[in-house]
Amino acid sequence: MKKVLLIASTVALLSGFTASVSAGGAELYQSKTCWSCHGKDAKTPIIPIYPKLAGQNKDYALNQMKDIKSGARNNGQTAAMMGVMGLVNDAEMAEIADWLSSLK
Amino acid sequence: MKKLTAIAAAITIFGAGLSASALAAGGHGGQVTDVKDWNTGEGEQSVAMTLTPDRENGIEVYEVCSACHLLEGWGMTNGTFPQLAGQHKNVLIKQLADIRALNRDNPTMYPFALPESIGDEQAIADVTDYIAKLPMNPENGKGKGDNLALGEQLYKDNCVQCHADNGEGNQEKFYPKIVGQHYAYMLRQFEWIRDGKRRNANPDMVKQIAGFSDADMAAVIDYVSRIPVPAKDVAPIGWQNPDYN
Repeated sequence: MKKVLLIASTVALLSGFTASVSAGGAELYQSKTCWSCHGKDAKTPIIPIYPKLAGQNKDYALNQMKDIKSGARNNGQTAAMMGVMGLVNDAEMAEIADWLSSLK
Repeated sequence: MKKLTAIAAAITIFGAGLSASALAAGGHGGQVTDVKDWNTGEGEQSVAMTLTPDRENGIEVYEVCSACHLLEGWGMTNGTFPQLAGQHKNVLIKQLADIRALNRDNPTMYPFALPESIGDEQAIADVTDYIAKLPMNPENGKGKGDNLALGEQLYKDNCVQCHADNGEGNQEKFYPKIVGQHYAYMLRQFEWIRDGKRRNANPDMVKQIAGFSDADMAAVIDYVSRIPVPAKDVAPIGWQNPDYN
């Protein structure tokens, strides 16, 4: 079942159904509480020392999420984010990163 | 020079001269070791307790909290965020004041708890009164259920004196209500209390649970997560907070 879903989402990605992919990322960005700190528009963080994410490069954003989740990156403000990373898996992080990169 | 810039920025941001590293590392004090120092009620805690709460402002302030604790105050069943609904007001005031004063490390919540985000002592009084009256989650997160007899015995032997027979806690003594709380959240806090990571832990509890193994810990928390929430305090399944659109 997972495999079917994966294939389905891959097909959706490759066929350029960006609208549905973006909707998923946008929804995850809220339901996984990313927006609580980084702002509903992903460019109005709750405090200025948290990063703006809108328009960020997809691979860069994904790698930061992965590294903060694994603990490979633990400097700066990452302690604030570490606690919520149990909420997202690799596929969800990729969707969020993809959506963030699509924002202006 | 970099350091100076960082400090200047931090002062600009927080006004009180808290450095960004204090935010990241959490806190500037040590563990509370004497129970006399556990609940001194200093600063805004005792002030907030005397103020008459304003429900409308409580609703407005709680919207900030709801970004993580959800509009119902139910938190997340996987324990990332605790349920707040139905918690004793005094407990909410103490914990919020402790987080604001950096006596309890919570880097995720810290910026949301600041006066700049939610307001002064009156706001604390308003929002905690509002939260305490919210009906509780009918489907809190539970453990595996594989060691409940041991958990029940451990609970009776170690926990009832403060948290009471059914996890009710004690409003007057600032002991939290633990009935209905999510298993994974309680497990994390219990471990932090046992291992000295939660600086505002009650020293009596730290001593009481010092000999708990990881298996003991999982068993007793699993038992607590399954104590039924009294019907008068619990919401129907699927309830949505009507105070928000």
